[in-house]
Amino acid sequence: MKTIATKIFIAVFVTCFTAAPAVYAKGDDFNSVVKMIEDFYRVKHVGIPFLAKAGMKVTTTAARIKGGTARRLAEAGSIKLAVFENQAFNGDFLKFRGSLNSALNETWMPLIQTFSATNAEQTYIYLRNAGDKTHVLVITIDERDATVVQVTLSQKNLALLLKDPEGTGKAITEEATLNDQE
Amino acid sequence: MKSLFKTTFIASLLVAASALAANAQDSRIQMGSLDHLAAKASQTVDVNIDERLMKLAVRLLSDKDEDEREVKKLVAGLKGIYVKSFEFEADGQYVVTDLEPIRAQLRGAGWTKMVNITSKKEGNVEVYLQFAGENVNGLAVLVTDDKELTVVNIVGPVDLDKLAQLEGQMGIPELGIEKTKKKNDEQ
Repeated sequence: MKTIATKIFIAVFVTCFTAAPAVYAKGDDFNSVVKMIEDFYRVKHVGIPFLAKAGMKVTTTAARIKGGTARRLAEAGSIKLAVFENQAFNGDFLKFRGSLNSALNETWMPLIQTFSATNAEQTYIYLRNAGDKTHVLVITIDERDATVVQVTLSQKNLALLLKDPEGTGKAITEEATLNDQE
Repeated sequence: MKSLFKTTFIASLLVAASALAANAQDSRIQMGSLDHLAAKASQTVDVNIDERLMKLAVRLLSDKDEDEREVKKLVAGLKGIYVKSFEFEADGQYVVTDLEPIRAQLRGAGWTKMVNITSKKEGNVEVYLQFAGENVNGLAVLVTDDKELTVVNIVGPVDLDKLAQLEGQMGIPELGIEKTKKKNDEQ
């Protein structure tokens, strides 16, 4: 009897731990993605830079993006940001992409994914319906840094994202990490 | 027991038949066979705008705003836009057999290669349309160059004019596709 109980315990224990990667994104997807990056690349994110957080004002404020003036994309107060600075992102990006896609597949729609072997850069943009708005999750990873941004977009800015997914995705990341004080 | 087996068998047959029928009319090209090329490519772009997103866009975009109206008009009726594009630093990073699974799909189920198409872009550009009767059900573009491989698949009612409008937008690369009427008339 004791043997059976031990076997069941081991089976439950093994199941819980081996199933862990598959349930990454069931709860808070933003935090799950951050945790997934940390586990896969063995890195640690740093806290949201205070000034970047403070810089999130109103949607219509002109912001400096790409060296010029551009409209704010994210809805005020909707930005979640995690930054990984100056750490080594060594790993099989195809494997990472597979894990990410299967974790987010149920609730998020993958819009665009780009990889540059030259710059060791990966960009992932996912969308999720949020009533009359849209949640956008942008993940960028390069050789030394990574950023995870989740924002809420208005209909108008969704149109911009659809028209130019790559450019608008980059602009969302730049906006989230933008320091209005600069 | 025998009856249960028979019922299960018939049900399986029906499911298989309906799946085959659905596939026959589906203009979505499965491009997963190309994924391994990402490991060799210097640049990879993978765009997936599926029917859910298309519907979402049509529902959310307003007719009042010029930007939104333009996008809405383009995506109305479309069921998906899928792009896979690979750029390589050296020649010979992909071989003809890598494309075979894509070509095999384009050989069946109503796909027709357009012969009157040229492109300003370097390399070989092939355009395929899938017809359901007289209506166009989907479009596929293959761009093959020594250092580039791009597959564009638009699902839903689309024509070359719409493709031209979509070039450079929604993740679709600039394809420079032109219809050469004169050539077509000669044939």
